[in-house]
Amino acid sequence: MITEEIGTFSDTVEEAAPVEACTKCTACNTVCPVARSTEIFRGPKFLGPESERYRSQPEAAVTAGLDLCSGCKLCEVTCPSQVTIQEYIRRAQNKGAEEKGRTLRDWVLGHTRLLSRFGSMTAPLANFGNRNPLVRLVMERVLGIHHKRPLPRYQWLTFERWFKRNSLSPRGGGSGRGGLATHRTVAYFYGCWVNYNDRRLGEQVVAILERNGIDVIVPKQQCCGIPAVVNANMDLARKYGVENVRRLNGLPPGVDIIASSTSCGLMLKHDYSHLLDIPGAEQVGARVYDICEYLWMLHEAGELNLDFQPVTTRLLYHAPCHLKSHGIGYPAMRLLRLIPGVQLEEVDEGCCGISGTFGVKVEKYDLSMTIGSRLFAAVKAAGSDAVLADCETCRMQVEHGAGAQSAHPIDILARAYGHG
Amino acid sequence: MPDTTTGVVVIGGGSTGAGVLRDLSMRGIDAVLVEKGDLASGTTGRSHGLLHSGGRYCVNDLAAAIECVEEGRILRRIARTTIEDTGGYFVSVSEEDEAWVPRFVEGCGKAGISCERISVEEARRREPALSKQVRTVFWIPEDGHLDPFYLVMGNVESARRRGAQVRTYTEVTGFNRDGNRVTGVLTRDTMTGEETTIGCKAVINATGAWAGFVAKLLDVEVKVVPVKGVMVVLSHRVAHATINRCHKPGDGDIIVPALSVAILGTTAVRVPHPEVLPIEWEEVRHMIEEGSLMADGVSTARAMRAYAGVRPLYDLGAEAEGREMSRNFAVIDHEQRDGIAGFASIVGGKVTTYRLMAERVTDLVARRLGVTMPCATAGVPLNDRDDELDQLRHRPAQVGVPKPHGDELALQPLVCECELVRPQDVAPWFEDPAVRTLEDIRRRTRTGMGPCQAAVCSYRLAGRLVTDRHQDGPAATRAMADLLETRWRGVRHVFWGSQLRQAQVTAGLHLELFNLDRQLMLEKSTAPAGHFPPPQGEGQGGGVEKAEVASQR
Amino acid sequence: MRADIAVVGSGLAALVATRTLQQAGRNPVLIWPGLTSLYFTYATVDVLGYSDLTATQPVEQPEAGVAQLIADHPDHPYAVAGLDALRSGTTLLIEWLRAAGFSWQGSLAHNLLLPTAIGTPKPSCLVPDSMAPGDLRRDEPIVFCGFHGYEDFVPELAASNLSRSWGRGEGSVRAIRVSLPGFDASRLFTSIDLARSFEDKAFRQEVASRIRREISVDGHRLGVPAVLGLTHDSDIHSSFATQVGHPVFEIPTLPPSVLGLRLFDRLRKHIQESGVEMIWAAPAHEAEVSDGRCRRIFLKSAGREQPIDARAYVLAIEDTVDGALRAGVHTVVDPFFRQSLAHHAVPTERTDESLFKPQPFASIGYPVTDRLQPSDDAGRPLAGNVFVAGGAIAGYDPVGTKSRGGLAIATGYRAAKEAMAA
Repeated sequence: MITEEIGTFSDTVEEAAPVEACTKCTACNTVCPVARSTEIFRGPKFLGPESERYRSQPEAAVTAGLDLCSGCKLCEVTCPSQVTIQEYIRRAQNKGAEEKGRTLRDWVLGHTRLLSRFGSMTAPLANFGNRNPLVRLVMERVLGIHHKRPLPRYQWLTFERWFKRNSLSPRGGGSGRGGLATHRTVAYFYGCWVNYNDRRLGEQVVAILERNGIDVIVPKQQCCGIPAVVNANMDLARKYGVENVRRLNGLPPGVDIIASSTSCGLMLKHDYSHLLDIPGAEQVGARVYDICEYLWMLHEAGELNLDFQPVTTRLLYHAPCHLKSHGIGYPAMRLLRLIPGVQLEEVDEGCCGISGTFGVKVEKYDLSMTIGSRLFAAVKAAGSDAVLADCETCRMQVEHGAGAQSAHPIDILARAYGHG
Repeated sequence: MPDTTTGVVVIGGGSTGAGVLRDLSMRGIDAVLVEKGDLASGTTGRSHGLLHSGGRYCVNDLAAAIECVEEGRILRRIARTTIEDTGGYFVSVSEEDEAWVPRFVEGCGKAGISCERISVEEARRREPALSKQVRTVFWIPEDGHLDPFYLVMGNVESARRRGAQVRTYTEVTGFNRDGNRVTGVLTRDTMTGEETTIGCKAVINATGAWAGFVAKLLDVEVKVVPVKGVMVVLSHRVAHATINRCHKPGDGDIIVPALSVAILGTTAVRVPHPEVLPIEWEEVRHMIEEGSLMADGVSTARAMRAYAGVRPLYDLGAEAEGREMSRNFAVIDHEQRDGIAGFASIVGGKVTTYRLMAERVTDLVARRLGVTMPCATAGVPLNDRDDELDQLRHRPAQVGVPKPHGDELALQPLVCECELVRPQDVAPWFEDPAVRTLEDIRRRTRTGMGPCQAAVCSYRLAGRLVTDRHQDGPAATRAMADLLETRWRGVRHVFWGSQLRQAQVTAGLHLELFNLDRQLMLEKSTAPAGHFPPPQGEGQGGGVEKAEVASQR
Repeated sequence: MRADIAVVGSGLAALVATRTLQQAGRNPVLIWPGLTSLYFTYATVDVLGYSDLTATQPVEQPEAGVAQLIADHPDHPYAVAGLDALRSGTTLLIEWLRAAGFSWQGSLAHNLLLPTAIGTPKPSCLVPDSMAPGDLRRDEPIVFCGFHGYEDFVPELAASNLSRSWGRGEGSVRAIRVSLPGFDASRLFTSIDLARSFEDKAFRQEVASRIRREISVDGHRLGVPAVLGLTHDSDIHSSFATQVGHPVFEIPTLPPSVLGLRLFDRLRKHIQESGVEMIWAAPAHEAEVSDGRCRRIFLKSAGREQPIDARAYVLAIEDTVDGALRAGVHTVVDPFFRQSLAHHAVPTERTDESLFKPQPFASIGYPVTDRLQPSDDAGRPLAGNVFVAGGAIAGYDPVGTKSRGGLAIATGYRAAKEAMAA
C-alpha cells in the first residue's frame, strides 16, 4: 500500500492508514503459526485490522488474546494489502499492559539486556542455575519460565570487552585494520546475544569482514528493544531505540551498519521508524544490512574474497520469519553455495515457534513446541550435519525440538575462510 | 367488518411512529403500527445520527434549538443505551466562519446550550484529528451520537412489551370512514399482496416525508417538502467527538463518529418524491472535501459507502427552501382543520425531538379518546431493566460504545466479524415476524455494516434463513444476493482504493467460489425478489417491493 | 541484487511463470508481495466455465471452448496468450502438482461439475482428488454434511439449492449435521482449527462413526466442508472416506480457505525447495527504463529500496485487488511505468448497477503487445524485456466466465516463454 496524496482529495490514490486496506481475505489467518496450532487464538485478522476499528474509542481497548501473538510477522509478510497487522497488535498489547500492568516475568524478559548482563557477570553461577532442575522449578513458579526450555549459556567475557581488548593491535588473518588501505568501514551492531551468549559469532563476523578488507568499528549500543516490544513494554523499547538511533546517526557518513541477528536488524531497519516512530530512525534504517545481505552485495560488486577452503558438510537452512520481513530473499543461501563442498537445502516448514521470548513462557512453551513440530519432523527426516538459521532463538529452538546441531550461516563461512 | 380492531393505528415506523406507539402503549391505549417497509428504513435510519445539542439551530431556528436542548437531556435519561456521549466541537475554519461566532455564542446563550470556547491548541490536544485550518473551537458537551436503529427498535420493543403490535411491509391503501370519522385502515402486505382491514378509533399519520401521500387517501392536504441529504460513511471513527462547522448551516459540515464508523453529512436538495434520492458524485466529493476542512484523515480514510436520506420539512407556507425551513414540527388536527375526526398528522421535526413530537400528537389523540393519563415517556427508560440492554444489540456493555470482550468471551463465534455481531445477537430476529429481509437483520444488529459490506456474513445469514427460518435454498440465496446488492448500491459511489479492492474479494467469493451469478440465473423466476416470508404460521410471503429504494445507510 | 529473470507476483500466474522458467533451466527469482487476496478462489483451477456472461449451460470441453473464444474474440487475453500456452502451461502445472505431492485430476478435455457451498453446480477443469467425487455428472445421491456450530458451510442451504437444479429426483440430495468431538458450538472455531483436528486419526474415526450413524443406506456420497487436513489432503481424504464408508468430497468454504492454503503453501514450498529463491514481503514498483529495456525495478524492502537487476521481468501481478495497480478516485495507475490505465470522471462509471453483472473496473489493466509486453496507447512496448501475466492485463475478467485459473496458466506460461527469449 502506497499513500500518495497529491494535493486535493480528488487525486488520493489510497487510504492513509494501512489498517484500512484489509479486505477480509483472511490470508493472514491461514499462515499464522499460532492460529494453525491452537483453537484458542482468534488470529491476526481479528486482533489486528478488525479490532483496530474499535480501539480509537476512548473506552475500548480490545486486548484479550493479544499475548498469544508470537510476533513472527508472517501475517504481515503474507498480507496482500500490506496491512501492518503486527504494529496494531503490538500497540494494543502495549496499551493493555499500560492499563493493567505487566507481569514480573514480562518485565524481566523485556529487559533482556539487564538480565543478560547479570547472567554474564555471574556466568558460572547463572549457567549452573539455568541447568539445575530445582532452580528451574523455582523459576517456573516464581517467574513463569517453563522448566523444560533450555536457557542460553552466558559467557563471562562479553563481546564488547573482547573487541576493546583486541582492537588496539591488528589481528592475524585479516587484511583490514593496520593492513591495506580500505575503502569500506562498517559498524557492527552485535546485539545482546553475541555480547553475552555467543561471542564467537561476533568474532567470526569481525574476522570475515576484515578478511574482506573492511574496517570494523563497534559503536556503543543498547539492546535493540525487540524483547521489550514483544513483552508489551514499548516505552522501554523506544528508550533503547532512541539511544541507538542517536549513537548510530553519529557514525561518520559512508559507514554501513551490520547486524548478525535478523530480529535486531529488522528493528533497526524498519520498526524504529515505523512501530516506534523514532525521529531520525529512517536514516539509520537505510544504512543497516544483515551480515549476509552485505557480503552478497560485496560479491555482486566483485569485492568478496572467494578464497574459500572446501567445507564438506550437509546443511539444512531454516529461514527465520523475521528474515522474510526484511524483503531481501535468502542471501545466506546464495553465499554458502559459493563454498565448495557445501551441500545446502532449504527446509521450508514455516515458523520454528520460539519467537524470541514467546516460547520461554510457561503458558506458551507447549504451543511453541506444537508450532515447531512440522519443522522438527522435517529436520529429523532430512538429517544433516547442522541446521542453519540467521536468528539465535530459531537455532535454540531447532536444537531443542529436533535435537539437531545448529549454526549461524556465518559459522560456515568462517570455516571456509579458515576461522572455524 | 375489519379483520382486527385496535384503539389507534399508527402509520409509519420511523422514530416518530415508534415513539407514538410507545407513548400510546404507556397510556394504556391499544395500538398497531403499520409500516410499508421496515422499521427505521426511511428517514430515521438514513439520518446521520447526530444527537443535536441545538447548537446547529441556535442562530436561525431558536425554537428548534431549545427543543433539542430539552429533548437531548431527556434522551440521555431514557435512551442512554442508544447514545454515545461523545460531546462535540463547533469549529470555524475561515474568516467568513468567524463572523458567525458571535451569533453562535449569543444563540447558545439564548437556547441554554452549554458551550465552552477552548483554545485551538487545547482542542487539538484533546482531539488530534482537528484540521490545521481550524481557527476557533467551541466544546459543546451535549452533542453526541444517537443510534437511529436502536432508538426505533427500543421504542418498538418497549411498546410491544405493553401489548402494542407492529406490522412491517404493510402499506396503507385506504381508510374506512363512517361519515366524517375514520374508523379503520385498509392495508396491503407489500410482499404477499394480502389485504387486511384494521378497525380503530383513531389514526396517527407519522409518515414524515410520506405524510402527504397518506393524507391524500382522505382527500386532505399535508404539505411536506422532501429534502434529500447525502451522507458518506468512513470505515472508522476519524474523531472521538462530533464535529460541526461553526457557520451558517450548510453542506458537508457535520462529522459524526457513530459506533465503529464516521458519517459525513450532509446536503440539502429538494426532491420531487421522497423515494427519488439519487446520489450525485459532486455531492459525495463535496462531503469529503468539506469534511477534510474540519478534520484530518477524512480524505484519506476508507470511504465505505454513500447513502441518501430525506428530511420531511413541513411547509408552513413560507418561502423558505430546504435548510432555511424550520426544523420545527407541527401537529395537524384534521378534525379541526379538515373536519375529519379520528385522524391526526405529525410532520416536520427531527430524530432528536421524536419523543416530544410523539407526546404532542398523542396528547391530542388521547384527549379525543377521552384518555386522561398523561405522557410518561420522558420518565421511563426504553429498557426498563438493565439486563435487557443486550437484547437489541450485541454490544457487550453500554450499547453504543463497544467495550472489549472479556477474556472468556474472546472466543465467541461471530456472524459478522467487522461489526462484532455474535450468533445470539442475530438469532432472535429470525423469529420476529416484523423481520422480512436480511437488510432488516442488518438494521437490528449492524451485521454487514462494516468494511466488507456483508461479503462474508451474508452467507452465514443465508444459512440461518434455511436453518432458523426454514426457508428454501433459492429464497435464502436470493435474500443473500439482495443484501449484497443493497450494500453495493452504496459502495458504488465511493469506488476507489480499498472499497474497489474489496469488491474484487466479494466478487471472487460470491461469483467465483459460490457461482452465485449462475444460481440467480437458474432460479430467476422461483423466488420472490427482495423478501423472504415471515416465520411459518404468520401467513405472509412473496411479492415485490415497488419503490426504488435509494442506497441505505 | 542481480537476477536472471524476476517474476513479480503472488497468484497462480506468477507460480506458473516461475515454474516454467525453472523447468527450462533458467534461474528465476520470485518476488512475492504477499499471498494473493483471491487465494480462496483457487480451490480448483477453472479454465472456462461458461462461454459467455449470459450462458447458464456450462462449457463441457474447456479446450474447445477456449478455442472458440479465441476465434470469436481475437483481443481476449486467451487469444493473446494462445491456445498452445494454455495447453503447455496446463501440462506443466499438472506435472508440477504431481511432483509437489498433490493428487489432482482433470484435463483440458472435460470440465467437472462440482457443487459449491450454496449448492450451485460449478464447472471446473483441474480439481483436487478430494473434491472430484462431487462431480455432478455422476448420479449417486449426495448427502451434504455440516458441523454444529460451524457457519462457514451450511449443508441445508447447499442441499436445498442443489435439489432444485440437479434434477436427480426426490431424495437425491439431503443435508445432515454432526457435532464434532471437542468442538463446542458456543466457541469460535474456523476451518483452520477443523483442518488441524482432521489430521488426527482418532478424531477422524470418531467423526466418521457419527456420520455413519446418519447415513443408513449405501450408494451415497458425502459432501463436507473443505477441512480435511491442513496439508496432507489426499491421505486424510482417502482414509476418512474409508472410515465413513462412502465416497467423500470436499466443498470450498468461506475464508479462511483450506484448499487455497494447501495449493499455494505447497507450490510455494516446492518451488523454493527445488532451488528458486523467493523474496518475501517486498512489493515491487518503479521500472527504470532506458533504450527500450527495463534495467531494474525496485523492491520496498525493510529500511530501503532494493534494486533488482534482471535480464527480463514477468509482472504477474493480480491487478488492483492486491494493490499492484492503484485505483485512485479517478485514475488507475500502474506502479512500474506510472501509466494511467484508466480514468473515470465519476467513480460509479467503474461499476455496473448490479454487483452480479460484469464490472467495467475488472477489465482495467495494461494494454499488451502480442508478446504480452505492456504497451503504450499506440501499441508500442513500454519495455522490450517486461511481460505481463495474470489479472493486470487489460480486458482480463475471469469472474463471469469462471476462467481465472486457465487465464493465469496461459498468460503465466506465455509470459515466461517470452521472457526467456528477451
